Amino acid sequence: MAWRNLWRHRRRTVLTLASMAFGMTLAVLFTGIGDEGYARMIELAAKMDGGHVTVQHPEMLDTPSLKHTVMDATALADTARADPQVSRVVTRINGQVLLATARQSKGAAFIAFDPKAEDPATFSLLEALHEGEMFASSNDKGIILGERLADHLGVKLGKKVVLTLTDKQGEIVSSLARVTGIIRTGAPTIDASLCLLPLDRVRQTLGYGPDEATQVAIFLPDHRNTATVADRLATTVAGRAVALPWYEAKAELAGFIAMKVNSTLFMEVLIMLLVAAGIFNQIFVSVMERSREFGIMMAIGFSPGRLFRLVMWESLWLAIVGVGVGAAITSVPYYLGHTRGIDMTAMVGGAGKKAEVAGVALEPIWRIAIYPENAVYILVAVVGATLLSGLYPAWRSGRVVPVDSIKLV
Amino acid sequence: MSKENGPPVVTLKDVTKIYRQGSLEVPALRGLSLDVKKGELLAICGPSGSGKTTTLNLIGALDQPTEGSVVVEGKQLDKLSRTALSELRRDRIGFVFQAYNLIPVLTAYENAEIVLALQGQAATKRRKRVMDLLGAVGLEGMEHRRPDQLSGGQQQRVAIARAIASDPAVVLADEPTANVDSETAERLLDIMVDLNQQRGVTFIFSTHDPRVMERARRVVRMVDGKVESDETKA
Repeated sequence: MAWRNLWRHRRRTVLTLASMAFGMTLAVLFTGIGDEGYARMIELAAKMDGGHVTVQHPEMLDTPSLKHTVMDATALADTARADPQVSRVVTRINGQVLLATARQSKGAAFIAFDPKAEDPATFSLLEALHEGEMFASSNDKGIILGERLADHLGVKLGKKVVLTLTDKQGEIVSSLARVTGIIRTGAPTIDASLCLLPLDRVRQTLGYGPDEATQVAIFLPDHRNTATVADRLATTVAGRAVALPWYEAKAELAGFIAMKVNSTLFMEVLIMLLVAAGIFNQIFVSVMERSREFGIMMAIGFSPGRLFRLVMWESLWLAIVGVGVGAAITSVPYYLGHTRGIDMTAMVGGAGKKAEVAGVALEPIWRIAIYPENAVYILVAVVGATLLSGLYPAWRSGRVVPVDSIKLV
Repeated sequence: MSKENGPPVVTLKDVTKIYRQGSLEVPALRGLSLDVKKGELLAICGPSGSGKTTTLNLIGALDQPTEGSVVVEGKQLDKLSRTALSELRRDRIGFVFQAYNLIPVLTAYENAEIVLALQGQAATKRRKRVMDLLGAVGLEGMEHRRPDQLSGGQQQRVAIARAIASDPAVVLADEPTANVDSETAERLLDIMVDLNQQRGVTFIFSTHDPRVMERARRVVRMVDGKVESDETKA
């Protein structure tokens, strides 16, 4: 009976279903863009520097310095590798360096890494090599410069650059490197202020021990396990180092994502409220115009509870059909957004350019990929909103006074 | 032939009903007393405002008296809970309305079956009962039609089948012939009289229709909320 009641006013029901489907589509697409986009930002940030979890000296976060090292990087890395939710672990040194040529000098950030231990899965800048070649070994005497940094210093491949750093004792140390590569990320800040160095070479320059580094970068297959892994590692490495999840190590990025997630959530709540208002209107009007019929039904033996359940069944059917229609309508834009993506190149300044958030270069193609649990949340929200919208009309249906609504004569 | 016997299935004792409209009090019944025995075919007639409708509402447990008591099969209605009243209406009282009032989304079969379904009776038992009743009211072959596919007389026959499906103690029929033509009215009366005589169904009509009064074996005439005359035919 509830199913048939749903279709008494076909046009009204179709309009309500359309609003539900529209709301669901918007919620899924916005959430899907967010899930995929934020996951990609987190992956890029992790692959740029520090991984999903960074094990480092306890004071490194607040007072970054090449003095703040971990002495047993290999042991710490082995500890991290033992965690079942960890996929890769690499050791790095990062800090600040003054680069000088015969014509110019400029301060820059450096990341020193082991070229044998890393690949694009752990270090995204390896894919940004625009000219030259990667280091042959960890003792290579080369340096790879950001494109704009190289331009600023006025150097090209094969030219020499003097590196000046402050070592662990606070002494100024220098070394000479030859430009072996140029990277181009498309992100202005990165291209203008970053250089790459071979790990062991930097250790020697800074007077570090063979197992000494500033960070152990830990990578996970799924960034959503970051908190769990960071908590476990924090306990294991306590006293020697700290294990920072990416959202603590990169607070600016985390703040940006949190702000975007919250604004998306706010918008989705608004959409759901609008949809719920439409659903409530459909059910409430449907109940009010049937008050005489409910009076008859009570006269022939329906209890208030049965009438309540009848209207709630109508709400449930509306929710089920609404979710089905919503899923069908959402599938097309979702598929296109998932496979082809949304090209935002024009918004970031044209081909080859990238937007940059908290030092992370963003891809100009947005893709849609919703986490399954978020899809379930949206389904639950739609069904929940529909059932909640039905509660008051259902209660009203059971409060009909038969003698008033029937008017026997 | 039906016999009116045993204790009354319906008893109204010194029933007063006053409707309040703001500070205005409108008395609808003034100390009405009435007994209806099992198997009776009773017509309550009288001018508009005489209290016929109010009387049916009170017997049907749709309203409560201001004073006095209404007893149906030994149960004093003002002592019953809402749930108990729902069950009483479902199991022991049948309604036939002037405007048929079938549930529009249900077929003729489903409308006749609905009370049995509410009672939780088994599907096979329901089917047997409903098919028997639809046959008795002359609706064979029309089980799958919805109300909007039936004529007024056919809808009223479904309503009669629905009213007697649960084998109630009493069927309250409010102007059951008012919305149909003379021929259909006669047929409906034939059906109800036959159900009364063959199956012992107790009917209480509220009516202006002289044909109903003519077919009823007892006619109660009401004026100003009181019984003016109570005549049982030989």
